[in-house]
Amino acid sequence: MATAATLPPAIDYRHLVQDGRLHGSLYTDPEIFAQEMEAIFHRGWSFVAHDSEVPNNGDFVVRKVGTQSLIVVRDSKGEIRIHYNRCSHRGAVLCQTSSGHRSRLTCPYHAWTFALDGRLIGVPDEEAYPAGFSKADAGLAPVARVDSYGGFIFVNLVPNGYSLRDHLGKATDLIDGLLGLSPVGRIQLNAGWMKHKMRSNWKMIVENQVDGYHAQMVHGSLLKANQTFATVRDRKPTSPTRVQDFGMGHTDIDHTSDYLKANDRLFRWTGGIDPARLPNYVKAMQDAYGEEDARRRLIGGPPHSMLFPNLSLAEMNIMVIEPVSPTASIQYTCPVFLEGADELNARTLRRCEGALGPAGFLIADDAEIGELTQMGVANLEPEWINLSRGMDTEEVLPNGVKRAGLMDETSQRGFWRHYREVMSASDHAMGRENG
Amino acid sequence: MMMQATLEKPALAERVAQFLYREAVLADEHRYNEWEALWAQDDVLYWVPMRPDADPTREVSYIYDNRARLASRIRQLNTGMRHAQAPQSGLRRIISNIEIEPGEGDEVVTRSNFILMESRRGVQFLWAGRTTHVLAPEGDSFRIRRKTINLVEANEPIGTLAFLI
Repeated sequence: MATAATLPPAIDYRHLVQDGRLHGSLYTDPEIFAQEMEAIFHRGWSFVAHDSEVPNNGDFVVRKVGTQSLIVVRDSKGEIRIHYNRCSHRGAVLCQTSSGHRSRLTCPYHAWTFALDGRLIGVPDEEAYPAGFSKADAGLAPVARVDSYGGFIFVNLVPNGYSLRDHLGKATDLIDGLLGLSPVGRIQLNAGWMKHKMRSNWKMIVENQVDGYHAQMVHGSLLKANQTFATVRDRKPTSPTRVQDFGMGHTDIDHTSDYLKANDRLFRWTGGIDPARLPNYVKAMQDAYGEEDARRRLIGGPPHSMLFPNLSLAEMNIMVIEPVSPTASIQYTCPVFLEGADELNARTLRRCEGALGPAGFLIADDAEIGELTQMGVANLEPEWINLSRGMDTEEVLPNGVKRAGLMDETSQRGFWRHYREVMSASDHAMGRENG
Repeated sequence: MMMQATLEKPALAERVAQFLYREAVLADEHRYNEWEALWAQDDVLYWVPMRPDADPTREVSYIYDNRARLASRIRQLNTGMRHAQAPQSGLRRIISNIEIEPGEGDEVVTRSNFILMESRRGVQFLWAGRTTHVLAPEGDSFRIRRKTINLVEANEPIGTLAFLI
């Protein structure tokens, strides 16, 4: 048995993550990455799928959470079930494709067959098993906890700990803001996911999703090439847009402040489409919410948020971050279709492709900068990364949300504060106390 | 006699192949304006779907450029500040397995395979796929009306695709 003397020293996250600065090893150390998969992705809540991705009984998607491959399936009674992607017999994966439709799950190795709810219902030559063998004890392994909010399904791989609602906290306002752009309060994520290999640590992608400081520089080529992109919102340091820290690691760039301050026209957030081209959508919103509230929603637009740890409500797109290794990640991108807004959805699809994904006018350049940053932090000096911008000028709202200027690093600090809490929590000392 | 006639006016298959090779050279060498000039003036589509037979009105594509968006893509590359192609990737592609069939009106439809080696900061990336061109004859050459690239890895995670595929 290992003794305390032979164990490497525990990683001190309170030292590595300080207010306003971070240690570079947080992006490169394989041991830190392994602990993140356990403490953040397995023992915390993370987004796994949206219920509109599996609309019919028998529909499934396969998703990675931390190091684990999970099958998200709608069973024959219409309930969402999430199983580990592993046959209970000898361990082969049951689903190889990323999505599909099945009436049951059959293992390719020895044809053990499972109902969609996970029960083992077929074993070839079952009589050869000993008397104590029971199919009732050999179903698929469900994940410990599944919960959802607004159609967004989250998992937690351990049975104990805080609830999804505690995890989301005030960030339910952000989800509500997106859903509230549909006259029936629902979205559909059924256009498929772009999958982009990023050669950077997953946390760099998190930080960049809510970074208001980089746009003029990283996206200068698009500002120069595309007039609509250049003029649709105020990108100056004096912009009314705020960055926000919602607590629990959830953060946001509040473009709504900018749009509402201008208070001039609807749909800046769509790139400035003329409302006359969306008459049915505008009318449905007025019927659902009343003229004044509909106008406020259609001026204000969607959130631009990063929900800890992996779900980005990226205006009219959902982006999901999948860690692969300390130096590699996959970013998934799907346009948001609003139920009751067909006129807008066709345009949303085309805008998503234009801006995002591997060939997008924006994200291709974000990926490049992420890669350069990953290469840079492999160099050992200076050890610390500076995240102090705007630290002295943050405003705290009565509900606890912190706000600062568009180009301040309040959002990144909000992520890291929660990261530090999660990573240094005592129940995650990796068995050192018991060692 | 026959041979001489062929040399004077190459057969359709040869003219198509020469056009595809020419397009490949311009894309490989980042000659953005010359590449854009191969396209028809309007009503074009430059499409990289995420699966064969995708419905682009409902499903997201990696690229779905009409004429205006294609022009934006070229303008952005021409700024020299498009980080994902500044510096530019080293590129060379092989075009092969060309099949030709008649299209609508005087259009020619070609299908061809490609293998493309991308070199970026000392790392090599392999891209491959099958491309469908819809070509409109113009004199002895063509203009591109539509180009669809079905990547072998379309449904897998792919790297940054900021160069001209």
